[in-house]
Amino acid sequence: MNAIVSIRDVVKEYQLGQTTVQALRGVSLEVLKGEFLSIAGPSGSGKTTLLNLIGCVDTATRGVVEVAGKDTAKLTERELTDLRLNTIGFIFQSFNLVSVLTVFQNVEFPLLLQGKLGGSERKAKVMQLLEQVGLHTHAKHRPSELSGGQRQRVAVARALVTDPLLVLADEPTANLDSATGNQIIDLMKSLNQQKGTTFIFSTHDHKVMQHANAVIRLADGKVLGRESAKDAVAHALSLGEAAANEVRA
Amino acid sequence: MGRLSMLVQIAWRNLLASPINLIIGALILFGTFLFVVVGGLLDSLNAAMARSVIGSAAGHVQIYSAKSKDELSLYGSMGGDPDLGAVTEFPRIKEALEAHPNVKEVVPMGVSGALITSGNTVDVALEELRNLLKAKDGVVDRPEYKNLAPAELDTRITASRRHVRQMIKVLDADQKKAAAILQDKAIDPEVVAALQKVSSDDFWAGFDNDPWGSLEFLENKIAPQVTDSQLLFIRYLGTDLDRFQQSFDRMQIVDGTRVPKGQRGFLVAKLFYEDQLKLKSARRLDKLKDARSLGRLIATDDELKRFVKENKAQTRDIVLQLDDLKTSEAVTKLQGFLKSDEKDLATLLTAFFDTTDENLEVRHGFFYEQLAPMLQLYKVRVGDTLTIKAFSRAGAISAVNVKVYGTFAFTGLEKSPLAGTTSLMDLMSFRDLYGYLTADKAEELAQLKRETGAKQVTRESAEDDLFGEGNTVVAEATAGVIDEKKEFTGVGRRLREDDLVRRVYSDAEINGGVVLHAAVILKDPALLSKTIDELNALSTEKNLGIKAVSWQQASGLLGQVILFFRVLLVMAVAFIFGVAMVIINNAMMMATLQRTQVIGTMRAIGAQRTLVLSMVLVESVVLGLVFGGLGMLVGSGLMSFLHSHGIAAPNDVAYFFFSGPRLLPELSTANLIIALGIILLVTLGSTMLPAIIATRVSPLRAMQADE
Ligand SMILES: Nc1ncnc2c1ncn2[C@@H]1O[C@H](COP(=O)(O)OP(=O)(O)OP(=O)(O)O)[C@@H](O)[C@H]1O
Ligand SMILES: [Mg+2]
Repeated sequence: MNAIVSIRDVVKEYQLGQTTVQALRGVSLEVLKGEFLSIAGPSGSGKTTLLNLIGCVDTATRGVVEVAGKDTAKLTERELTDLRLNTIGFIFQSFNLVSVLTVFQNVEFPLLLQGKLGGSERKAKVMQLLEQVGLHTHAKHRPSELSGGQRQRVAVARALVTDPLLVLADEPTANLDSATGNQIIDLMKSLNQQKGTTFIFSTHDHKVMQHANAVIRLADGKVLGRESAKDAVAHALSLGEAAANEVRA
Repeated sequence: MGRLSMLVQIAWRNLLASPINLIIGALILFGTFLFVVVGGLLDSLNAAMARSVIGSAAGHVQIYSAKSKDELSLYGSMGGDPDLGAVTEFPRIKEALEAHPNVKEVVPMGVSGALITSGNTVDVALEELRNLLKAKDGVVDRPEYKNLAPAELDTRITASRRHVRQMIKVLDADQKKAAAILQDKAIDPEVVAALQKVSSDDFWAGFDNDPWGSLEFLENKIAPQVTDSQLLFIRYLGTDLDRFQQSFDRMQIVDGTRVPKGQRGFLVAKLFYEDQLKLKSARRLDKLKDARSLGRLIATDDELKRFVKENKAQTRDIVLQLDDLKTSEAVTKLQGFLKSDEKDLATLLTAFFDTTDENLEVRHGFFYEQLAPMLQLYKVRVGDTLTIKAFSRAGAISAVNVKVYGTFAFTGLEKSPLAGTTSLMDLMSFRDLYGYLTADKAEELAQLKRETGAKQVTRESAEDDLFGEGNTVVAEATAGVIDEKKEFTGVGRRLREDDLVRRVYSDAEINGGVVLHAAVILKDPALLSKTIDELNALSTEKNLGIKAVSWQQASGLLGQVILFFRVLLVMAVAFIFGVAMVIINNAMMMATLQRTQVIGTMRAIGAQRTLVLSMVLVESVVLGLVFGGLGMLVGSGLMSFLHSHGIAAPNDVAYFFFSGPRLLPELSTANLIIALGIILLVTLGSTMLPAIIATRVSPLRAMQADE
């Protein structure tokens, strides 16, 4: 059993007043350990919804979502929180650092929640991660004193500090310029290779997409298919051109 | 550990970010400060007042008859003294109560009041002359005239005669002055004739031939011309004086001595002695000096100005006290002092008493060194026998003669009118006055009444008539009805009185009669309320028929004063913290709503709801502790300053509440702990709702862009 995420026939509906919006209409998917997987698709196709289900911050209307071998529908709220804490790392589009804490404290935060490590061990671990993201010299800074790219690096360090099996990133580069975005994806990729951590990230950006091992293509709440990164980029480009043509026309 | 310190750090930094916290903090600071300081002051006041009340009469617990109509109120209440049932089985009660492990002593008591008359100045002088003449004839009515050597008796008679003659001279001069001002018809020719007669040398030359007739003429025709007689209401506590002196060790004898063990006797409360029995001019000089030493100025102070004015106007008390020799001595002294050649004593005194801020000190000194030795400074002197008349419970007038052994005051309460106006009397005399009889006496009396067919005034109606409307009735009745001479005649009566003064009573006799209430002194006052419950249970169990109440209850309204201020404090503090709660609640609600993304993020990356809850709570608790702690610090600082410097009693009444001239407030740890509890309660209470709302923030909120 190498699948870290296993999704079968998942439907997610949102109730908007009288009408029911189906964000996901029967999605099935397997993600293997160590994958560096991208989720692509047009706006509103359900990327965020899918990541939220995998990240256990939301529950499916129907179907099965298994993360690290556990059926998330059967877990209590506390257990889901513990699963998030110990198994999953999150990288957010808008970084979501705690502004009143220092860089160091932000990265340390999940370790404190876990309460497994003593002070010195925690410190070593945090500093190691900060070094890996190249920010060990900024440990005492506040997030507000950092650039967007630096903040996202801190977020990456925070996501990885607990050695999660799986890291989820919903459009991690959307708030960064493309060069910086690429650096973040490079960083994630290198961590993926060093530690074997599974990464799932969504993106619109084909340049970002091309770093992935594989791309899950979503459209209208359904999985169109699983492609290699190269195909996906080509696909994206053609779509992009089509879209550009549409705009031109 | 790490988690908590992180929460505190988050809280601290969040607090610094929001200026509303300063307002909340200021409220908490002020509320805590107020609670610590005012609470501490009230505690200290309460403790001081407890010392005053407990130490000056009440003891820790008071017991009185369960059948009493009124509640016991040691310091009197609106309608005079409370109507208490008689405790008739005191020895049994005392024994039962003293068997309780926490009871040290039970002191029997009864509070009552009576009028004493100080006859007018001429009457007093004539009475003295009459007593001296009688003593010369070998008839001694009062103990102070006993055992006088014949030579001394003669000297005193001569002095007394001179005194009376000098009085007549003064009155005659007054009358002539009045005649000059008023028209002739306004003056009673009979008085003019009488004055003329007694002013003549013939009258005095013939005095020895008919001393009794001459005295009677003076008493009937001259004495009524002076109308300065005074009725004084004197309040006294009848008690077992020995036990009282042992149990209330703040009591100090100021003048004279204790009443010998087991004997009848009277101790005058020093303040009453000064205020009511001292020569008014002297008392006012004392008061002026006191006020000056406190920095008050005669030049600007209305009360002091009034004292000076009264002193200048009321010189007659002094003039009438002196015989011709002493008058000229006083005139000479005053002429020298004032550098004046005025010959009239009254005019000289008026000039002398024109005291100012500058000359008061010197004149006060001169008065006490030069004039006071010639004067009788007090109407009642230590060693005198005081006649006290009162209405007994049966409605009859009873009178007792008690010897004044001295004056007393309670240490620290010397100036307090509350503690300084109740004098002390032995229990036997008290019972005589109060009219409660021992069982066999009552039987004897009933027998007598059956024989004589005397109609008994029912006790109930007599009480209502006499005591129902306060003291005014008593005052009028006493002034009109009592004829002193009729009351005290007869050799038998005299011998009885004499015997009574010297007789030593046993404990059994003292305890054996009726008492009205009793002070219970405890070994461990900390167990007060428990002991009271136990004593009440004991009374029910052994059928003692008594009620036990705390000193606080026994002191009536007075005991409630501190409680009243405490309620005010609680209300003020509750208001301040109430406002704080509303603001905290609002502020934390706003803060929570502004921080949903952070909270959502924390939830997403694995924080449990409990952590979110504690994060919000810790924030307001930190706020509360920081500012509350500051409030406590400032409050404690002020309290320790006050403790080392003390607060001076602003007036005489405050002496009682301060239990002395200065209150040394004590900071109580209990108050700090309670303040801490209140702060925690207020902050946690007001943040509960925002905290719960925070726990409801979904981790999904982390994914949404911050609006
Ligand atoms: N909380 C919600 N309530 C109602 N409808 C929702 C909610 N969240 C998402 N949807 C709907 O579900 C569908 C999928 O949305 P989702 O955010 O997953 O798309 P997406 O692929 O992430 O789009 P984007 O690229 O713009 O982020 C959309 O039609 C959206 O309107
Ligand atoms: Mg999205």
